[in-house]
Amino acid sequence: MFIKSRQDPVLKSRVMLVERETIEKARAGDAAAFNQVVLAYRKRILGTVSRLIGRPEDVEDVAQEVFVRLYYSLDQLRTPEVFEPWLYRLTVNASYDYLRRAKRRSESRMADLSEQQVMMADSLAGGRQEDEERQKSQTREFMDALFRHVSEEDRLLLTLKEVEGLSLKELEKVYGVNENALKVRLFRARQRVLKAYERAVANGSF
Amino acid sequence: MTDNDSGLNDLFQKYRAACPEVEPGANFMPGIWQRIESRHSFRFAFQQIARPLMAGSAALVLLLVLLSIVSNEHARLTAPSYVDALIAEHTAEKTYYTEAIRSTPPSGEQMDQR
Repeated sequence: MFIKSRQDPVLKSRVMLVERETIEKARAGDAAAFNQVVLAYRKRILGTVSRLIGRPEDVEDVAQEVFVRLYYSLDQLRTPEVFEPWLYRLTVNASYDYLRRAKRRSESRMADLSEQQVMMADSLAGGRQEDEERQKSQTREFMDALFRHVSEEDRLLLTLKEVEGLSLKELEKVYGVNENALKVRLFRARQRVLKAYERAVANGSF
Repeated sequence: MTDNDSGLNDLFQKYRAACPEVEPGANFMPGIWQRIESRHSFRFAFQQIARPLMAGSAALVLLLVLLSIVSNEHARLTAPSYVDALIAEHTAEKTYYTEAIRSTPPSGEQMDQR
């Protein structure tokens, strides 16, 4: 069932979760094949969306949107080999659209969110688990604070590179932009985050 | 690589681990198909309106193109050629001079007749 993409050396490290034929069938309009694709990729996409948008309650909604967009754009896919970068591109676009919409909403929602997180943390039983969850929550909050020093686009790019672990070649395929341009953009974004990190470390806030 | 650089790298990894694993809910797959269906029906309704509009505008464009071709052809047939225009101009000039001579005879001629 799981196959490695042999034709594309770029995707050597990442395994394709469905066979080429399944993608071909889904592209031809086979609903069962499309279901198979969704079943294979839903966890990966949910994870990526979760890290890109950072709001657990909306992850499923954005991931569903990714697959709906996939359904309507599969016919534009040139070959099954570029399926994964294509799916990542849809994921980035859907996440970015979500973040733009979310930005328009007021700060009050953010306050609700943190309350929710506090409630979730409070409801956790056991001291150790609570400790772990608190640490994780601190890490997320700190990282979110650092990401505020770059634009939403750069935040997504940096997350894909540094957190998701996509290579520059893969990012080139996802964004359809020259590798050098991506390198420059990533370098600048990382430098901004690094400076904010250095300040935070110097101030002892982390 | 500085200490802060590697510290940031560690932070990225910690962040990855700190992000909660989201399990797809029971409604995940039906939700996708529901959205697909609703967009299908919207697309269908849009196509129902758009198709006659497209056909109407295509027919109108075709009619305008035909009219413009016909009027161009008519104008080409009725328009005077360069030679026609030259002849017409030459004739007009000749008439002008002839009439000018006839209408104002020299005053010396009148004196002789007397």
